[in-house]
Amino acid sequence: MNSLTFKFIAVLRRVAQIVVVIVGSTLFVSLLLQLLPVGLEDLYVFALDEAGRQEQIRLLHLDANPVMFYLYWLGDFVRGDFGSYVYPTGVLDPVAPRLGAALPISLRLVVYVQIVALAISIPLGIFTAYRSGRRSDKVISYGLFTAASIPNFVFALLLASFFGVSLAWFPPLGYTAPGDGFVEHLRSMALPVMALAIPTVATYTRLLRTDVIATLREDYVTMAASKGLSNRRILFTHVLRPSSVTLFTSAALNMGALIGGTLVIEQIFSIPGLGSEIGLAIFSRQYFALQSYVAIIAIGYVVFNGIVDVAVGFVDPRSRERSNA
Amino acid sequence: MRNLFAQMNLLSKLSAVWMALMTALAVFGWLIPLPDPREYDPEASAAGLFSPGHLLGTDAGGYDLLSNVVNGARTSLLIAFISVGFGGLVGSAVGIIAAYRRGRLDYVVSTGFNILLSIPNLVLGLALVAVLATSSDPSVPIASNRRVIIIIIALTVVIIPILGRIARGATLTWINREFVVAARSMGMRDKDIIVRHIVPNVLPAIYSVLFLAVGVVIVAEGALSLLGVGVVDGVSWGAMIARVAGEFTYAPQSMYVPVVVVALTVIACNQLGDFLRGRLDLREGRI
Repeated sequence: MNSLTFKFIAVLRRVAQIVVVIVGSTLFVSLLLQLLPVGLEDLYVFALDEAGRQEQIRLLHLDANPVMFYLYWLGDFVRGDFGSYVYPTGVLDPVAPRLGAALPISLRLVVYVQIVALAISIPLGIFTAYRSGRRSDKVISYGLFTAASIPNFVFALLLASFFGVSLAWFPPLGYTAPGDGFVEHLRSMALPVMALAIPTVATYTRLLRTDVIATLREDYVTMAASKGLSNRRILFTHVLRPSSVTLFTSAALNMGALIGGTLVIEQIFSIPGLGSEIGLAIFSRQYFALQSYVAIIAIGYVVFNGIVDVAVGFVDPRSRERSNA
Repeated sequence: MRNLFAQMNLLSKLSAVWMALMTALAVFGWLIPLPDPREYDPEASAAGLFSPGHLLGTDAGGYDLLSNVVNGARTSLLIAFISVGFGGLVGSAVGIIAAYRRGRLDYVVSTGFNILLSIPNLVLGLALVAVLATSSDPSVPIASNRRVIIIIIALTVVIIPILGRIARGATLTWINREFVVAARSMGMRDKDIIVRHIVPNVLPAIYSVLFLAVGVVIVAEGALSLLGVGVVDGVSWGAMIARVAGEFTYAPQSMYVPVVVVALTVIACNQLGDFLRGRLDLREGRI
């Protein structure tokens, strides 16, 4: 078998795995609704006459068994119908437009965090690796270990009270859309981004530091140094690239944790993203909406991880050999 | 145990002392004469540190912060220890057996772990708590004792796949070692091999993760409270954080106490986990 078919089969297997996990996790979330201590009918069927009740039960598929209930949901979901908020008047308010408004805000937050975190952790990781074992490295490394352990909501509250209230440099609450002034938008995102970025920087720097220290021991680095290349040139052109695979893989895999983190951060800073929508859905007991939100997060996370896995295989041949062995 | 403490560096020692202190407060805190954590003092709202009668001050609602820290330790550490203990027990048992048996059972178990891990742990905990804590009458919220139980169940489900995957991975590295193969070829029963040879070797890897998991659960309890589904009407660290988070614009000083307590506890857990992992690497290196 030539290597291309081999590669193709490997990708196919990975895709099959991803499909299994996606079906499993969405089924899990769907079955969760069966665990409600209150019947779905009591929550969402409000018509007083029997005919109206039957109509609503059929409309929401509440008469279906758990598996069929899931399949109905899945059928709607793949067609882009993410369910509805059901109001006591019987009015259905579809989830899709709300999701369309909230998801980009959360994604924007996550992307800003990644950019800021990488921009700080790459130079910091190289610096601490270069000074490895000296006092400056030790101080920074201990500080980072501590920062990585502190929950992001702690940073959020401290930043909000210090930069938001005491110094009033940034608005402590609220969100400005980029269309209403880009500078204001960045100002409104500054504190939430910082709250999520500080622990992230700590994690990334530690990863990069370990890999850079390993790369610095390679013969070709000694060779480059003996040829008289400047330290800066060696670190950024010869050392950074081979050392950054772990960093970028973990940065990509960290997306899920960041999405989880945004839920809380959005709540603290009143940012109308996915986290606030989920909070609202829980508060108003809209479990059909909650089901779709959780499913979307899970699917996004799984698909993204799968892509990263395959991509790393293409970028770094060493990991491919390892997984084939 | 004393030996272990002697091997620690300063930071780990401080962490161990802090965790011991918090655990002691959780167990014996009720013996300390403190104001009722749920009784507000109308004379002192948002009082600072060391104000009369309130050693750590009060929050904007006039609740005594020290009393809430001490009594909250009971709830928060109870949630953390039970869900990590139970989740760790179930997760590692399932993970070890799956890895030892391999085949279809292993496929089913590891797919199950992957499914649970595909939902970010906070989102999973949030969904479980939200669903399980729905009361039949929206105007009557579920009692805080029941909420604590529901949070424990939800976070146990969160912990099971994390510990399970680690136990499975650790077991896989041991099942083909010479002494296991030898035991098997001499006709030792699978149950005895697992108990005598696998478990003692897998345990050190689990111990270090248990501490990290306690940290994860304490953070999760705070996050769930901030999202409005924690022990909001009860006395816990998460409930304190949620309260001060709503008040930080006009009473920022009362925020520091719960925030610092939670942060120090999580740092201590991670430090101890890191210390145990370092010891594990040393031990591996000697083999």
